[in-house]
Amino acid sequence: MSSPSKRRDMDLMKLMMSDYKVEMINDGMQDFYVHFHGPNDSPYHGGVWRIRVELPDAYPYKSPSIGFVNKIYHPNVDEMSGSVCLDVINQTWSPMFDLVNVFEVFLPQLLLYPNPSDPLNGEAAALMMRDRSAYEQKVKEYCEKYAKPEDIGAAPEDKSSDEELSEDEYESQDEEMAGQADP
Amino acid sequence: MAPGDANLGDIDEDLHSRQLAVYGRETMRRLFASNVLVSGMQGLGAEIAKNLILAGVKSIALHDEGEVELWDLSGNFVFSEKDVGKNRALASVQKLQELNNAVVVSTLTTELTKEKLSDFQAVVFTDINLKKAIEFNDYCHSHKPPISFIKAEVRGLFGSVFCDFGPEFTVFDVDGEDPHTGIIASISNDNPALVSCLDDERLEFEDGDLVVFSEVHGMTELNDGKPRKIKNARPYSFTLDEDTLKFGTYEKGGIVTQVKQPKMLNFKPLKEALKDPGDFLLSDYSKFDRPTLLHLAFQALDKFLSELGRFPVAGSEEDAQKLITLTANINERLEDGRVEDIDLKLLRHFAFGARAVLNPMAAMFGGIVGQEVVKACSGKFHPLFQFFYFDSLESLPTENLDPSAFQPLNSRYDAQISVFGSKLQKKLEDANVFIVGSGALGCEFLKNVALMGVSCGKEGRLTITDDDVIEKSNLSRQFLFRDWNIGQAKSTVAAAAAASINPSLNIEALQNRVGPETENVFDDTFWENLTVVINALDNVNARLYVDQRCLYFQKPLLESGTLGAKCNTQMVIPHLTENYGASRDPPEKQAPMCTVHSFPHNIDHCLTWARSEFEGLLEKTPAEVNAYLSNPVEYATAMANAGDALARDTLERVLECLDKEKCETFQDCITWARLKFEDYFANRVNQLIYTFQDAATSTGTPFWSAPKRFPHPLEFSASDPGHLHFVMSASILRAVSFGIPVPDWVKNPKMLAEAVEKVIVPEFQPKKDVKIVTDEKATSLATASADDIVIINELIKRLEQCRKNLPPGYRMKPIQFEKDDDTNFHMDVIAALANMRARNYSIPEVDKLKAKFIAGRIIPAIATSTAMATGLVCLELYKVLDGGHKLEDYRNTFANLALPLFSMAEPVPPKVIKHRDMKWTVWDRWIIKDNPTLRELLQWLKDKGLNAYSISCGSCLLYNSMFPKHRERMDRKVVDLVREVAKLELPPFRSHFDVVVACEDDDDNDIDIPPVSIYYR
Repeated sequence: MSSPSKRRDMDLMKLMMSDYKVEMINDGMQDFYVHFHGPNDSPYHGGVWRIRVELPDAYPYKSPSIGFVNKIYHPNVDEMSGSVCLDVINQTWSPMFDLVNVFEVFLPQLLLYPNPSDPLNGEAAALMMRDRSAYEQKVKEYCEKYAKPEDIGAAPEDKSSDEELSEDEYESQDEEMAGQADP
Repeated sequence: MAPGDANLGDIDEDLHSRQLAVYGRETMRRLFASNVLVSGMQGLGAEIAKNLILAGVKSIALHDEGEVELWDLSGNFVFSEKDVGKNRALASVQKLQELNNAVVVSTLTTELTKEKLSDFQAVVFTDINLKKAIEFNDYCHSHKPPISFIKAEVRGLFGSVFCDFGPEFTVFDVDGEDPHTGIIASISNDNPALVSCLDDERLEFEDGDLVVFSEVHGMTELNDGKPRKIKNARPYSFTLDEDTLKFGTYEKGGIVTQVKQPKMLNFKPLKEALKDPGDFLLSDYSKFDRPTLLHLAFQALDKFLSELGRFPVAGSEEDAQKLITLTANINERLEDGRVEDIDLKLLRHFAFGARAVLNPMAAMFGGIVGQEVVKACSGKFHPLFQFFYFDSLESLPTENLDPSAFQPLNSRYDAQISVFGSKLQKKLEDANVFIVGSGALGCEFLKNVALMGVSCGKEGRLTITDDDVIEKSNLSRQFLFRDWNIGQAKSTVAAAAAASINPSLNIEALQNRVGPETENVFDDTFWENLTVVINALDNVNARLYVDQRCLYFQKPLLESGTLGAKCNTQMVIPHLTENYGASRDPPEKQAPMCTVHSFPHNIDHCLTWARSEFEGLLEKTPAEVNAYLSNPVEYATAMANAGDALARDTLERVLECLDKEKCETFQDCITWARLKFEDYFANRVNQLIYTFQDAATSTGTPFWSAPKRFPHPLEFSASDPGHLHFVMSASILRAVSFGIPVPDWVKNPKMLAEAVEKVIVPEFQPKKDVKIVTDEKATSLATASADDIVIINELIKRLEQCRKNLPPGYRMKPIQFEKDDDTNFHMDVIAALANMRARNYSIPEVDKLKAKFIAGRIIPAIATSTAMATGLVCLELYKVLDGGHKLEDYRNTFANLALPLFSMAEPVPPKVIKHRDMKWTVWDRWIIKDNPTLRELLQWLKDKGLNAYSISCGSCLLYNSMFPKHRERMDRKVVDLVREVAKLELPPFRSHFDVVVACEDDDDNDIDIPPVSIYYR
């Protein structure tokens, strides 16, 4: 019977307990950012992305929507919008999953094992299939260019941020930065 | 039975679109050719006639030899008090005719001869004695061709239906479902052969289904179109009754499609079926033995009537005893299948209510019988074979009633009083009811409650709300509306129509959508004063909202919904049942973006893409152009601030509209449309092929393998009607978006072809390093790796240049997709976009109507299932308004009239949560008074053994134990936090607000506690 709003509270809590940095916007729970690090054994290692998470009204019955805010070169991520064409999130979501699964399992899997046969970024997919090392080179270039730690957390007014956020929302936001990041 | 010849004028698709989505054209044409007789014009006859006239049969004859009595007004919505004394058929004809002028409605007021029945394809009798029924049925059964015969009765809370569609009746479509399909992954060379399919979607084949194959590579022998039988149907595989050892080896590809088989039914005539009824259609497993008894009881009632010339009197034990004896006698004479234990109480109630036609029963059976007539006339859906009996005895009041309670009061409710007693009647009349929605369900509900007398007393009050206006497509089932009401508010028109059915109805019509934004209209006092809420909604979100409000204010909620021939009802009763939101269907699966963007494999994908292109080209971009032109400086600044790829893309589109692709003449629009054709259906496809040529995944699987379909570019030809239709509809809407007049000659294919030939199409060169999902236009400015912001600034500069050349006040006209206007070319563009794309991928194309159903997300709807759903709900309404009923008295129903299937069951009780010595359900709420601080609230919970880690209000977090910042809030009043953080406005009349608390017990187990109401003054 867990009400949907309570599931939001619980899932968000679990995410923060798992040491993820969560940026809230005015204590709202429907829409927030999570910092995500590229997995160790992937060419994305060293990159950090701000992931925009939107929890729909029907969460957890409906999947969260996940988008990369700063750019990433990946066969399954739309380069322009940052939307993820991730099977588990978009297709086979079940209310049994939670946000920790998304960041602990689904996103690392996506970066470790891109699926070029269902591409959203066709160029990346084609490159990956034809010339793996050129593809990895390009991934690293993008990480270098768009996904350094200072590209996200430290400078929230970064131009890669979302347009829906107004200036004053940020002001109140940085003081609300997630627990574990505080010294 | 002779299904009518399918050779009539065109179907009015605007009027019948929702029904067409259920039946299809063929069935509708057969329906339009059918002549039907409805005999017996009390409540049931009127309901059946209404449903058939709305559906659009060719003609309907209303037969009744009797006169309207005050008694009839409990069940018949076309009669008013001034009709008393008139012939029933004559009193009905005018109001029924108004429902649909395309149907010929006539009357018959004298005794029927059997020869007269040969005028009809289907005949329905709602009030006929058994002797006559057998005579007529024999005639119909042996007639060449047979005439479909239906006998139906509603007697108080009991109902029966009998169908005989002749000795050999063919059902063309047994369930109304689309043929199932699968994408093949492998086929073995074996006997029998094993066919495996992709694990994208579960197969829905059943053993014995026939299937055909297409597009199979390698084992091409299977592509011969011959239907083959399957066995061992599993979620992702099945075996084929075929020796494939000598066939070629399967390579790749292939689609398997179910072939729907017609089914032949051999109906027995009534005389035989009475003795040997076969299996009864069950509706309620808790009553599995009832149909056998009711089969006898209805025959006994017929005997009672013929012997005494009247119905049993309500409350008369003598009459009840007589009926019981008659039933027992029939039972005695049975050779086999005798009823062991006759339920005397049941028969007593059957006797008491026998004369009454209750509106909810008439509505329910009107839906069922109406659907059977449609089946008889068209062969669509599986007929009821052959008897159906039903009772809703649980609707009776819980207390035992004295015979005097059933005495008529010389009122229009006398029939209803004879079943339920005058005390419940008074409760109905004084109820304060809220009906949410005034669409198809809402109209039916209003009719039902008006006839039942709900909210018709001095204390009674009925509020109906709907923010929608009447459209033509509503008229085929929202029967309180007429064509002259198009454009008017639904709730107002429906309320006026309901008040004309029963002038005592105290009804108020509102035009507010129910939701968080109208809580000033539907405020606490409004909710607190309600007796019951009836949902008549068409979407889940509104249902969930009303559910939450009913939970909060502890009000019963009667929920229902329909989808085509299916319907369901759910009773939400405070503290007895779970709430609506407690169980949910999984959300509708959407196709993955990548599939829609570049790799469609069915027409739905193409239509989804077409919808999104329509919106982008014709609505969003023109709106962006206008946004820019209205406030260029601010717009440019916002874009530069955003500085991302999305902003760049938007600016590029705006620039295109004002610069390179700006249209000034209609010829410009044709050029644009022609180049769009090239871009969408040739260049992009070529690019896709180029990018992925010979690509393979790391496992060696070729990139172009199932479910991906390999695309082929189209070569434009002005003589291809599909190509030309695209150019025509696209150029017309392009012209509309630029405010350019559309010349008539565009609709002349020859002249259009000439105009298209003039367009010069540049040759396509595939780019080596471009994205797939967008087109190549961006590369003219800079390479993809350049910084977006540089390009954005460049674009803004160029836009400024363009703007200087525009006349002052220049604006585009964004086009909002409207599916229900057949003349606006919107659906033409979408169907053309989708079909050309389908051609690229060798996907079968669809006609405009089918495209409209899918792209317009048209929910199939028919009058019959709607009427039945509301009848079922109103049978529950008796229980709710009586009060005191137990959980086991209530029924939720799922029904599918196409099969037909009725599945009624007790609602599920709410989940009980226990903690220490406390227990609660979703219906409970905790209350804390004296305006606590956050610390006090946490301590209050702590005292209950609960450690709260998160407290929220709406979607705002008030407290989370992980945030150091939130610890500073400890000594603040929670009400102040709610005002500041959640920005909740607390109206002066309210002295509390609610928070949601997530907490754990001392062993770190999450405990789901009720919402906490905090009183702060």
